[in-house]
Amino acid sequence: MLKFIGAALILLAGTSAGMLKAQQFAGRPKQIRDLILALKRLGTEISYGFTPLPDALNRISKQMKEPLHTLFLQASQLMNHPSQMTAQDCIHEAIRSNWHNTAMKSAERDVLYQLGYNLGVSDRQDQMNYISLAIQQLQSEEVSARDDQARYEKMCKSLGLLSGALVVILIY
Amino acid sequence: MKLNWLTVIPEPIHSILLNLPKVSLALLEEIRIREGRPLEVNAGGEHSFVTAFGSLTDDAEAAYKPTREVGHKLLDLITNHSLYTMEEELRKGFITIPGGHRIGLAGRTVLSNGQVEHIRDISGFNIRIAREIQGVADSILPHLLDFKQRSVFHTLIVSPPQHGKTTLIRDLARQISNGSWGHPEAKWRGMKVGIVDERSEIAGSLKGVPSFDVGSRTDVMDGCPKAEGMMMMIRSMSPQVLMVDEIGRAEDAEAIAEALHAGIRVIATVHGSDIDELEKRPVLADLMERQLFQMYALLHRSNRDIKFRLFDGKKRGIQTASTRGGASDA
Repeated sequence: MLKFIGAALILLAGTSAGMLKAQQFAGRPKQIRDLILALKRLGTEISYGFTPLPDALNRISKQMKEPLHTLFLQASQLMNHPSQMTAQDCIHEAIRSNWHNTAMKSAERDVLYQLGYNLGVSDRQDQMNYISLAIQQLQSEEVSARDDQARYEKMCKSLGLLSGALVVILIY
Repeated sequence: MKLNWLTVIPEPIHSILLNLPKVSLALLEEIRIREGRPLEVNAGGEHSFVTAFGSLTDDAEAAYKPTREVGHKLLDLITNHSLYTMEEELRKGFITIPGGHRIGLAGRTVLSNGQVEHIRDISGFNIRIAREIQGVADSILPHLLDFKQRSVFHTLIVSPPQHGKTTLIRDLARQISNGSWGHPEAKWRGMKVGIVDERSEIAGSLKGVPSFDVGSRTDVMDGCPKAEGMMMMIRSMSPQVLMVDEIGRAEDAEAIAEALHAGIRVIATVHGSDIDELEKRPVLADLMERQLFQMYALLHRSNRDIKFRLFDGKKRGIQTASTRGGASDA
């Protein structure tokens, strides 16, 4: 009986590990999509609204779900704080402290990081160029993320279950 | 002493300035930051360079030289991280920060159709610290009262740059608007004052709201060309007194004449050091010829006080007096 419960537990652990990995593959393109939407909103705030960066990021954070909500909110709070941090410092700091909560990989982080160097420091036309460049890069990442999802999501799920089963068989 | 402008100054200039001798820090009027060249301050009318340890020096070699990063950081902080919201300011060449302080910018201009569109590669900053000296107009206002009309005279304030014009006109606006006439027989109420603040100096407006106390019955048209602003004010805000800084163009004179005919009192300032000198400038000569101004006030600042001489509309000297208040931001 005890053996049976143990086997069930191993099987469950294997399955949930597989599910978790699969979720990451499913979450990445979704979050990239959200990030692209956020940058598009930022572009609109800058080009039509003339909204200062801290206000714009704050507004966007309100429309976003976690984990991007916290990332944008923190960047905006850092900018409003009278700590003499530049826009670049604030964005980079927000990325550093929040990135591990996202399902996105380093390629997306680099795009956002790169954008951080340029946000707020030039005229509107320039800002739009930087933002649309970042959006393009993210879109190509999104395509590869979707590929990965199609390829690995199902595989991870079954692999989790199967490896659980393998361990159970070996123990029996 | 309020040092609210210090929040936009990045390290290491921030701590260098805090290390300045207390007297100099209190009298600071300008901080000049030029990329790769010595940090310069103007305290109480005296220009000097500043070393990395916050002492004043005349030796340019010994002075602290701001790096490019410091310039970028300063620009980021004074624009609230959003240079793109400052297009109008970049066209004009200065940014007003909270507290009414103005930061002049120098760099490479970008032209469009022969007009300056904005400034790129900004490498020179001139932080002009605005000081509000309430009471600086105490000794001059009683001379400007028109008891017959229960109002104030049409006045032209004449002064060289940096001699306290703007500080004076700001305090005049406050007192006229609040009705603190400083004269026992002047018992009428405060008047509606309209300020046309083309360069955001008088009221130091931020998002349309004055940073300085310009009086409770004062309206400010911020960043508006003077002539147009005066006409707009006359049409829409029914001011009793109009105040403008640094008149000089032909259309300014037209607008002033218009205001005078509409029964509005005008207090204006102009650059100059002598009444006779003004007559050489065609626009002013015309205004003086028509005797539109009832009073001329000639300002002169020496170390710690502002002296002024008053002349009536026919340029006859009538009064000399002085007032305390060394620092200026005009």
